[in-house]
Amino acid sequence: MTTAEDVHTFTLKNGMKVFVLEDHSIPNATLQIFFKVGSRNECPGITGISHFLEHMMFKGTARYGSKLFDQALENAGGSSNAYTTENVTVYQDWVPNSALELIFEMEADRIGNLSFDKRIGESERGVVLSEYTTGYENSDYDLLEDQLRSVAYQAHPYRWSVIGYESDIRNWRQRDIKDYFDRYYAPNNAIAVVVGDVTLAQVKALAVKYLEPIPARAAPRPVHTREPEQRGEKRLIVLKDVSSPHILIAYHVPETGGTDYYALNLLSSIFSSGKSSRLYSALISDKQLATEISTYMPNALDPTLFYVYAVCADGVNVKTLEKAILREIDKVIAGGVTEKELRKAQNNMVASFYRSLETISNKADMIGTYEIFFGSYKKLFEVADAYRKVTAMDIKTAAAKYLKKANRTVGVLQESEED
Amino acid sequence: MRKSRVYDIGFMIAITILWGLWAAVACLAPTGIATAGQRQTSFFKLSTYEKFKLKNGLTVYLMERHEVPLIYISAVFPAGAVRDAGKSGLAYLTAETLFSGTKSYSKKQIEEYLEFLGANYYAYADVETAGISMSFINTDQDRVFPLLKEVIQDASFDPGEFEKRKKRLLLELAQEKEQPSVVIGAYFNKFIFGEHGYGNPIYGTRASVKKIRSIDARAFYNAHYRPEESALVIVGDFQTSQMKKKVQELFEAWRSKGLPAPPKQVPVFDKSRILLVNKSDATETQFALGALGIPRNHPDYVAVQVVNTIFGGRFTSRLNEALRINAGLTYGAYSTFNAYKDSGTFAISSFTRTESTVKAIDIALDVLKRFRAEGVDQEALTSAGSYLTGQFPLLYETPDSLASLLAAMFFYGFDESFVNDFQKNVESVTVEKAREIIAKHFPGDNLQFVLIGKAAAIRDQVRKYGELSEKEIKSDGF
Repeated sequence: MTTAEDVHTFTLKNGMKVFVLEDHSIPNATLQIFFKVGSRNECPGITGISHFLEHMMFKGTARYGSKLFDQALENAGGSSNAYTTENVTVYQDWVPNSALELIFEMEADRIGNLSFDKRIGESERGVVLSEYTTGYENSDYDLLEDQLRSVAYQAHPYRWSVIGYESDIRNWRQRDIKDYFDRYYAPNNAIAVVVGDVTLAQVKALAVKYLEPIPARAAPRPVHTREPEQRGEKRLIVLKDVSSPHILIAYHVPETGGTDYYALNLLSSIFSSGKSSRLYSALISDKQLATEISTYMPNALDPTLFYVYAVCADGVNVKTLEKAILREIDKVIAGGVTEKELRKAQNNMVASFYRSLETISNKADMIGTYEIFFGSYKKLFEVADAYRKVTAMDIKTAAAKYLKKANRTVGVLQESEED
Repeated sequence: MRKSRVYDIGFMIAITILWGLWAAVACLAPTGIATAGQRQTSFFKLSTYEKFKLKNGLTVYLMERHEVPLIYISAVFPAGAVRDAGKSGLAYLTAETLFSGTKSYSKKQIEEYLEFLGANYYAYADVETAGISMSFINTDQDRVFPLLKEVIQDASFDPGEFEKRKKRLLLELAQEKEQPSVVIGAYFNKFIFGEHGYGNPIYGTRASVKKIRSIDARAFYNAHYRPEESALVIVGDFQTSQMKKKVQELFEAWRSKGLPAPPKQVPVFDKSRILLVNKSDATETQFALGALGIPRNHPDYVAVQVVNTIFGGRFTSRLNEALRINAGLTYGAYSTFNAYKDSGTFAISSFTRTESTVKAIDIALDVLKRFRAEGVDQEALTSAGSYLTGQFPLLYETPDSLASLLAAMFFYGFDESFVNDFQKNVESVTVEKAREIIAKHFPGDNLQFVLIGKAAAIRDQVRKYGELSEKEIKSDGF
């Protein structure tokens, strides 16, 4: 089993922190670079630009021209991907160990020397518009969550979606992309994680050779906007031709790793993880009011939302479902959770922890995620203890503190304005 | 639990890999690992495992993996939608209610018991097989196995629980039509295979599901969950000798109770046809076009995957380059060979805004035409080969995927030579061989098209592709 002591770390002269975990189970390696930039760093007019920049990072430099990044990587037996969230932009490469140097060279090259070709940018704008369209065309949930966030948040940039507004996607300029890149793609605003069939010395040498020469930049200005306290329930309706209504209820809660984080995560598990969970067994198995139910808190650097999502069973009025959900929430506030439920949720967290350490890719992802969202990768290895420390009373207290009417937004996706 | 939403650059390619080469296979482990810094790509061998048959015919695979203290189980039965025999959705509902009670455990007891332990468990049905997948902490094995035994041999199909699941499925069948990307595969398979069982939609149709009763599921279970055609795969942190004894004790008494029906003929096509599925509020068109493909045990299987990697199986493929990278018309374009036991499909898939539908399809057809005319050169083959072999170990990393691989080996009748000779077979594809593969397996005519989109906006332009028929997406079935 991997332990915290197996993870090595060093910091380059330009401020980029590097994490290395040797894992020789397969002759492959993954390099994952996490930039601390996402849609929370945007402002109206350039919404979606973090994600667009992520696309442009594959579009070439003077050395590896357009298309050559992917071609060189695939020729060498590697593959890559990247993703953008509200909080981070992450570049992932998976290669046979023979291509380790190539990915260091190419990643450093695109961070140091990205081209901002106008013609290629226009073509990529089309790709992102297709991504925008296909997202909403194929997911009712996405549509509802994006609308809900625009209501639940009054001030914080979490109020727009990562993909951005269509009109912003159509209108941002090359200059905006370049400025944004210059502001956030600083080595001192990123961390690199390498896991796989490598040695610490080998990674250190490659990092010094390729990543260290990239000059540090001024640290980007922190996001200082804080969401003001919500003063009363907010409600919204989204119209779409759907076969039964969807409901999404969201409560403001602290950021990932912050106060009450572990208690709220256990509560989420008690609510909806598995068929014996409270909401699933009450609303789907017993009362048959819903066909689907889930709860979750996204990883977030700033205070976020605790979501409860459900889809009405055939012929069930959405108000009936809402009442039933709120009744289950109120039961926890009034009566707490049982010791058995707590133990079950804790057991599930421990098993999930094991499952999260099965692949080199997951290990890299977890190390980076914990470093950024929890302040240290070491917290990953303390997760079982952190959950064991939570008491049933902590969960009851957290439920009472956050899951209250004045702190919630209720969104309904349905066919028409009528009930 | 719902995952945080992310926008990534190449999810289509990940999907391609899942649907294509790796649909039937999963995971192996290397022996003779190259040490870090070695420059050559290593050859892979499947880790040792023990395979044996119980007296009742059940095939068992045991493979030890000790990285984490977990045990993974994959059981596979010849009980997919192909055997629905007129009761579309029956295989799926049977699998869905396997964990809804047994001889000595109620549905609630099963759920509370397994979930308290932090176990993962589910049953599934796909086109050809049904299966059970479980993972749990190894110290819980004596608590989990007796329950698994009953799920496999003595599921009770309680009528009340069955009706509840059925009622949800009826709504889900309407809901899935709200996501064209989810249902286009079912339309395509039905359009290609017609009345053959491979055309059966896995989740069924509303009309059919309404008529299915719990006694139908019990009869299906008795007929198709048969030890002599099934396999039990266990991978993880255990000792083989002890596990072997345990498995014998638990499953030796299991006997099959019914007989399966014989399969139908796969159709052939002598003309191009197009099915236009109208979704009147659509802003984009989803499309799939293709033909019959090859069965999993076809001798060209690996060579076809090598050539398809170049055509539409990775980010820099001809298709994705033309439609996404050069034209900016879509977020992703790819091609797949879905291989079943007795047949298969070849499909080019993509999506684009309604107004660029014809432009995108024309480009896809042009890429196919040029591919057939020009073939591939050695440089492309070398690159595809190193891509496939370089990514190979990553696909075979977890006990879970190893368990799926062994289950697939059993069902499709291939062995570890698929893994152990993979690199050799990939590298043996020459330019000449690739030319033969393209001529034989990449269709030049009689293409079959399925489009889901706004019919009024595209109907007149898409007639040119073949004999047009139309459906409403909200109509039941496919």
